[in-house]
Amino acid sequence: MISKNLFFKLVKQDFKKRIWCPILLFIAFILFLEVPMIMKLENIIKFPKSYSYDIRIYVRDYFFGADAAMVAAGVCAAAFLCALSGYSYLHARIQVDTYHSLPVSRTQLFWSKYLSGILQFFIPFLIHVLICAGIAANKNVFSMETVPFMVSYVELQLIIFVLAYSVSVIAAGLTGNIIISIMGTGILFGYSTFLSALKMTMFNRFLKTYVVYGQQLDNRMIDDKIWCFSPLSMILKLFSYSGRATAEAADKLFKYDDSYVWVLIAAAIVYTLAAYIIYLKRPSEAVGKTIAFPAIEPVIKTLIVIPAAFFCGIFFSETAVGSDRWFLFGLIFSFALLCILMEIVFRLDFRGILMHKRQFLLNAACVILIYLIFRNDVLGYDTYVPADDQLQSCAVSIDQLLPLSRDIYRQNGGRLYIGSDEYRMINMEIQGNPSVMELARKAAKEKLSYRSFEYYDGIEKTDLYIKTREKEKSYRQVSFGYKLLNGENIYRRYVIDLADAETLKLLSDIFNDYDYKLGSTPMFKSGWNVTFEAVQCIGNFKSDVIRLTPEMQSKMIEAYQSEYTKLTLDTVINTIPSGTIEFLKTTEEKDANVNHKGYEIYIGKMYVYPQFTKTLALLKEYGFDMEEKLTAEDVKSVSVTKNYDETQTDGSVQSTYSTGEWGEAYEKNVVEYTDKKQIQQILDSIVSDSFSWSIGYYTDFFDEQYTIELNMEDSKDELPYFHCFVSGKKPEFIQ
Amino acid sequence: MITAVHVKKQFDKVLAVDDVTVTIKERQVFGLIGTNGAGKSTFLRMVSGILKPDSGEILIDERPVYGNPKAKADIFYIPDEQYYLPNATPRDMAHFYKDFYPKFDMARFDEMLARFQLKARRKVNTFSKGMKKQLSVLIGVCANTKYMLCDETFDGLDPVMRQAVKSVFAGELAERDFTPVIVSHNLRELEDICDSVGILHQGGVLMQKDLEEMKLNIHNIQCVFQSPDDERAAFELLDIIKADRRGSLTTFTARGAEEEIMLKLNSFTPVFSEILPLTLEEIFISETEVVGYDIKKLIF
Repeated sequence: MISKNLFFKLVKQDFKKRIWCPILLFIAFILFLEVPMIMKLENIIKFPKSYSYDIRIYVRDYFFGADAAMVAAGVCAAAFLCALSGYSYLHARIQVDTYHSLPVSRTQLFWSKYLSGILQFFIPFLIHVLICAGIAANKNVFSMETVPFMVSYVELQLIIFVLAYSVSVIAAGLTGNIIISIMGTGILFGYSTFLSALKMTMFNRFLKTYVVYGQQLDNRMIDDKIWCFSPLSMILKLFSYSGRATAEAADKLFKYDDSYVWVLIAAAIVYTLAAYIIYLKRPSEAVGKTIAFPAIEPVIKTLIVIPAAFFCGIFFSETAVGSDRWFLFGLIFSFALLCILMEIVFRLDFRGILMHKRQFLLNAACVILIYLIFRNDVLGYDTYVPADDQLQSCAVSIDQLLPLSRDIYRQNGGRLYIGSDEYRMINMEIQGNPSVMELARKAAKEKLSYRSFEYYDGIEKTDLYIKTREKEKSYRQVSFGYKLLNGENIYRRYVIDLADAETLKLLSDIFNDYDYKLGSTPMFKSGWNVTFEAVQCIGNFKSDVIRLTPEMQSKMIEAYQSEYTKLTLDTVINTIPSGTIEFLKTTEEKDANVNHKGYEIYIGKMYVYPQFTKTLALLKEYGFDMEEKLTAEDVKSVSVTKNYDETQTDGSVQSTYSTGEWGEAYEKNVVEYTDKKQIQQILDSIVSDSFSWSIGYYTDFFDEQYTIELNMEDSKDELPYFHCFVSGKKPEFIQ
Repeated sequence: MITAVHVKKQFDKVLAVDDVTVTIKERQVFGLIGTNGAGKSTFLRMVSGILKPDSGEILIDERPVYGNPKAKADIFYIPDEQYYLPNATPRDMAHFYKDFYPKFDMARFDEMLARFQLKARRKVNTFSKGMKKQLSVLIGVCANTKYMLCDETFDGLDPVMRQAVKSVFAGELAERDFTPVIVSHNLRELEDICDSVGILHQGGVLMQKDLEEMKLNIHNIQCVFQSPDDERAAFELLDIIKADRRGSLTTFTARGAEEEIMLKLNSFTPVFSEILPLTLEEIFISETEVVGYDIKKLIF
């Protein structure tokens, strides 16, 4: 007999033996492929205006592109099914005796089952993909351009399948019991993802300066520092957003990272070879045992018990609002429990729980050591500041001070949101400003932090709480991004005390830096070629949208940029802004995110101060006088509402405007003023509360104890925002 | 020839097979007997290439068997509990094995199925335990391998089928190069088919001998002595293993050649004397006593 013939006979035999598997997958793939495609096509045909992309683009870029991530989850499940059903014979003695007594090499047996498992997935999957292509062609939305997308879609899913499949085969080979195999598959499949998540939660829990940037665009489950060796991490990384705050990168959202596919292929090959070697080395007598290779048992136990114990510690700690005591309880309790469970699982006997005392003690020592390292920051994470000669540039983001988020619009619809901190960390490059590193070193040395309390009723009245919160009122957070010469990016978030004059001076130096302004605002980056159509202008008593020609736009940007870059922190802290401007794009979309004038806000509120004389003059020239004031004659009445003091979940008290469910209380607290003298006095002492959003944290001229609503004589002039009193200017007649 | 030399196998802390050295000659029926847990099945699983010995080696016609498909091609292993493919019929199973054993005789399989009154298209999972055993023997025989390893194969067969299977083995032995190795803990099952036997106990081999050789050296005699004094004198002269008297009839088992025993016995001119056939059990009791084991306690 020719060995090759035997191989294909074995494949055929195995396929026949597990014919239920491809049949089951064939049925399941209908739900993953044809059904979503038909539903989406029907929706696009019925409601074409609700979709910003063409139906052909859906089939090409979405169905055979972005939606591959969803299907990949199903493909992984299929891989586990095919692998465990194919190699579960290793867990049944009578099957092992039969197969291993047959005159066939283990190599042939392994590869025949391996190939058979792949075919059991691939044949039904390919049929379904072809059916989907047929459905699209039938609706005339399938073009030749779609073919390469479809081919790469099939290739990609096959690679993902082989990756997940080979890991599951490894689990089957390493274990002697199907239940343990399933658990092993889960652990091997997602181990590096779990480690990554554990690292983030541990760093968050223990390290005060820990902060992560760049991952909002990628994936929060993946940490760049943790090697993505598990299929789950690799798959998440493959489908994660590769964008780095540029429109070009954002458009790549619908395409996976081609270069990373090669990593997946390499990993699939390595895992397959590992599965093969394990299969060859696996002794037949491993049937029924938990682990086929007793030598690796202690390693597996340690690798599971220690991270899982810390996860449980964090779970208990989070349940008890960050309590250290509960963290320790969770850690110790779960460690002991997990050790016992592992011994029971490995022995398959309750009497085995006290075996391996030495390993228990060794693992306990590791847990204690890791805990102490994190608890006391032994490695100096919080105090680390790179030396000047290591630095290429720095990025700084002063928390909640003029944060301007950014939406990146993709060519084929949809948008990507980038927060201001995220944007600054990626785009800001401050060089040659010694105040940056000086502030970083000072903050790292001072190790300030917000004290966490275990809250209970009445805590807000205790001396310690009051004194602590009073002291922390001047605390602010500042994020630092260090771009090192070796290409590494390091991020830290420090707490600083604005009451410290030296700190405030250093912070001012940073804020006043041209590079800080340039990198903190997306508008000024050359890569952001904004073409807006209008400007939403909000003054203290006036709001309007003015349309601009391209020439007016460039004048506007130039004037605003030149004045904004000269803005000082002192001005921000001490000057009431004249108003805000927001750049608008017209949009054809009619969804809820679009404002009532048919414009879409492109970036966010940009502040205009009285010192911005050129900007104010230009706005006036274009038809909007931002500094125009109201007189009592324009106002019919003024409603002044005393806000509620609402105790927050952290025990702090905040003034809250009472509406809605608090209607009854609102009625009691609102006073309406119609006397023109009083109205004038009020008008002279109020400021738009819409100004406080981006600067209120650093200023103290917003008295938020009252909410003031102006009822205009002419309803056309109604303002879309409320006011509050300027601190210390509240008229005496206001109760 | 199957040769096992100083073979050891340990499962965790249990030494299942301890330094076993056995030679199984070709064209002989070899019986391997022992108590439960003696290591019989483990030894057979090593011979069939399923398990790898921890030390020592097992050779099939001078070829190591573990991981060697060519050596395994000469072996058909029938485990204690045979695996049948899900929803398979006897014919499906025959096709399954035909892929691995190129000499598998399908025509003969069909013929034997009919002889054993097993339906070719009935699902095996509806068969009784005995029918499944029959089927596994038939598949093994039709695989036409040189060696057939049967683990407790005769258990579950009714006496008629047991005889039928034995006659099939006898036929194979007469017609071709065939060497069955039969594992059992029941001596009576093996005594009329085995040419040689090995006894395993607690992982080690107590002994291995040809049955005929054993039978030539031990005899069961029934006689009537003229007087009790003659009986005493005769017993002193003979190598008596055990003796029993019922009335005037004395039955004893003695070690030695038949002529020598009868010559010594006849010197007392007994009223009546004759040689009776010995059971395998009796032979083993006597043989194992020589090596200091109370085999009766061990096996029965």
